[in-house]
Amino acid sequence: MPNDPMSGRSGHNGVVPTTLEPTQEVEPDVDDRTAPDHPWIVIVWNDPVNLMSYVTFVLQKLFGYSNEKATELMLDVHHKGRAVVANGTREQAEMHVFRLHEHGLWATMEHDGADD
Amino acid sequence: MSRFRGPVRRKSDGFVLDLGADETALVRRLTGELRTLLSDPEPTEEALSLIARLFPVAYPDDDEMEAEYQRLMRDELVQSKLATFDVVDDALADKAVIDEGQLVAVMQSINSLRLVLGVMLDVSDEPDADEVAEGFADSPEYALYGYLSWLLEWCVKALTGS
Repeated sequence: MPNDPMSGRSGHNGVVPTTLEPTQEVEPDVDDRTAPDHPWIVIVWNDPVNLMSYVTFVLQKLFGYSNEKATELMLDVHHKGRAVVANGTREQAEMHVFRLHEHGLWATMEHDGADD
Repeated sequence: MSRFRGPVRRKSDGFVLDLGADETALVRRLTGELRTLLSDPEPTEEALSLIARLFPVAYPDDDEMEAEYQRLMRDELVQSKLATFDVVDDALADKAVIDEGQLVAVMQSINSLRLVLGVMLDVSDEPDADEVAEGFADSPEYALYGYLSWLLEWCVKALTGS
């Protein structure tokens, strides 16, 4: 994610404000744990277009997260490449994915415990 | 020189977009072009690749469930995106005051445009790569992309009060 379009274009000086390390292992995150009756997880993936501020706003709006929690998830997306932002039944997860897609975020869903 | 007040402002009764005549015409034209692209019943391969980022895969691990999801949801997502362009038209009308939901729809529209431009420019956030594909650094498309990023950031600021 680019992080500060207000400061002008990035990249021209060789410093790109996004530092995703593709080889970095995704560490098990406390947010990856889901309740047994909520077997589907919704994942937002890092992408080079969506702004950090916008992603944080969307996570707050769609899931009612505090600014602090949404920022934490956004930073996970930014630095680790992905974050689990919600869980639920398959129908609930599909609704979340749809709404994230409405906002242009790169969201997928998977059965909890499925191979990454 | 008067103080710059920003293109998106919160008022007591909602929000206003104050883009100026040229930028208003530009945003209208871009959303119109994307509307045409999304409304094409028989899109070309090239058109499909341009809008691919607007329709991410939901089930990357299961082709069958993905096909079912796309069959049920893709058209709804198209309609949802087209509806946001209608809101943009209203929001850009002279002296229009819009509510939070309308401003969010405007943001969705702007972001849809950015996603398409991002595909055209092959935008990258790899640390060692240029941000856009070779030859595009001085292109009108990259200037547009930058403008829309700036505008979107102002929308977020207006909504969050930050």
